[in-house]
Amino acid sequence: MRARETLLVAAREVREAMRSRWFVLSAASFLVLSLGLSLFGLAGAQRSGLAGFDRTTAGLLNLALLFVPLVTLSLGGLGLAGELEDGSLAVLLAQPITRAEVYVGKYVGLLGAMATSIFTGFGLAGLVVGALAGGGNALVFLQLVGLTVLLAAVTLAVGTLLSAALGSRAKAVGGAFAAWLALVYGSDLGTIGLAAARSLTPGQVFALALLNPVEQARVLGTLALTGRPDVLGVVGIFGQDLLGTNGLSLLLAATLAASAAGALAGGWALFRKAVVP
Amino acid sequence: MIEARELVLTLGGRRVLDGVSFSVARGEAVALVGPNGSGKTSVLRCLLGLVPYCGQARIDGHDCALEPIAARACVGYLPQRSCFADSTAEEALRFVARVRRVNPARVPLALQQVGLQSCARQRARTFSGGMQQRLSLAAALLADPPVLLLDEPTASLDRGGQEDFLRIASELRQGGHTLLLSSHRAEEIDRLADRVLELDGGRLEPDRRPERIVALRPKKVAS
Repeated sequence: MRARETLLVAAREVREAMRSRWFVLSAASFLVLSLGLSLFGLAGAQRSGLAGFDRTTAGLLNLALLFVPLVTLSLGGLGLAGELEDGSLAVLLAQPITRAEVYVGKYVGLLGAMATSIFTGFGLAGLVVGALAGGGNALVFLQLVGLTVLLAAVTLAVGTLLSAALGSRAKAVGGAFAAWLALVYGSDLGTIGLAAARSLTPGQVFALALLNPVEQARVLGTLALTGRPDVLGVVGIFGQDLLGTNGLSLLLAATLAASAAGALAGGWALFRKAVVP
Repeated sequence: MIEARELVLTLGGRRVLDGVSFSVARGEAVALVGPNGSGKTSVLRCLLGLVPYCGQARIDGHDCALEPIAARACVGYLPQRSCFADSTAEEALRFVARVRRVNPARVPLALQQVGLQSCARQRARTFSGGMQQRLSLAAALLADPPVLLLDEPTASLDRGGQEDFLRIASELRQGGHTLLLSSHRAEEIDRLADRVLELDGGRLEPDRRPERIVALRPKKVAS
């Protein structure tokens, strides 16, 4: 795989994403919500006496866990399927460029566009809070930004896998929305239901949580913010007892990276042999 | 220049191409004809590596499956239905120029050649079918590749566009380019093709001369 051609496709993808109404609307909403949450968090902090930065970071973590998977799953879902359906993928693949370069270039480009949106939204929020409430723990804030980009990388890879598997725009969007519901809400409810019905041990609940990147990111983000057991939840407490804070953080970050790589590899296995109409 | 041996393509359990073999010499213009679903477009898609096929396909000595980059570098492709995502006409051609390592300064000239110079900054998605086809032709010709694969090249062009295309294609043919086109239009085949390959139900019929194409009647496609 050649770097130059891959980057050419990535640059094309960034340009296309910036023109997509869905992406622009999502990025603008993310920016507005980040700023709104920051200002709301600051107002609350003045009453409760909490540090502005930490409170804001906690709010932004929840925003990232809800919003980023929704945008990236859809973006990834539309990536290959959209171009496959409208015929532009055939035009692209008729050029002297390999499928691997197209596949990786599209992923890197979409991740670049999404990372730009995250940096802009969180960056402006950080500047506002920093100016109004002082620095606080800026390192935790930077960790949150890094974690959000990592979560985006995983869910974008899952979206890309869905795109390669489903092959049409409508199916890919439907699949992306179903995956978002499953990751953000269904997984928690399912785990709770299973734990109650089958009397799962904390270890089994912990293992189930490792299958859901949103839950992994939630625990990892919470660990960066606070080590308090009442906030960490059963998965975090079990993991912390088992591995310690650093060990658990490392395991969760590695699992997130492995999830992204696994989803991308699955998508590639489908795309490399796909019929391009 | 183009060589296909025993091409077999199966899609959704249906055999779309069934042992298709042919060759096209350098500078020759060959038309693929046949009823809808006979496999004309599929032959072009095999040569471009857009579908997984069995058999062997070579362009300028490069195996289309094993050396796809070298094979496709020799080819300009004009698809039946063109799309350039959300790019403007100029951006679409600049991208092709960069991928094919052609000086991007050739882009305005290529747009002028197909009569799209005034629409360079418009998004290709907003173009009519005919304008998109012209843009596709500009993209196919940008790097001046020795081989052109043309899939129903004038299908969405108006009368003027068809005339322009036939003029450009005739010039390319006289300039020594190798042409493989799929077409239903007798006039197009008559003016461009040296030889006609007729496909029916994914199989190749014996060669026909272009003048006989007018007499070809639509046949039922074998399922």
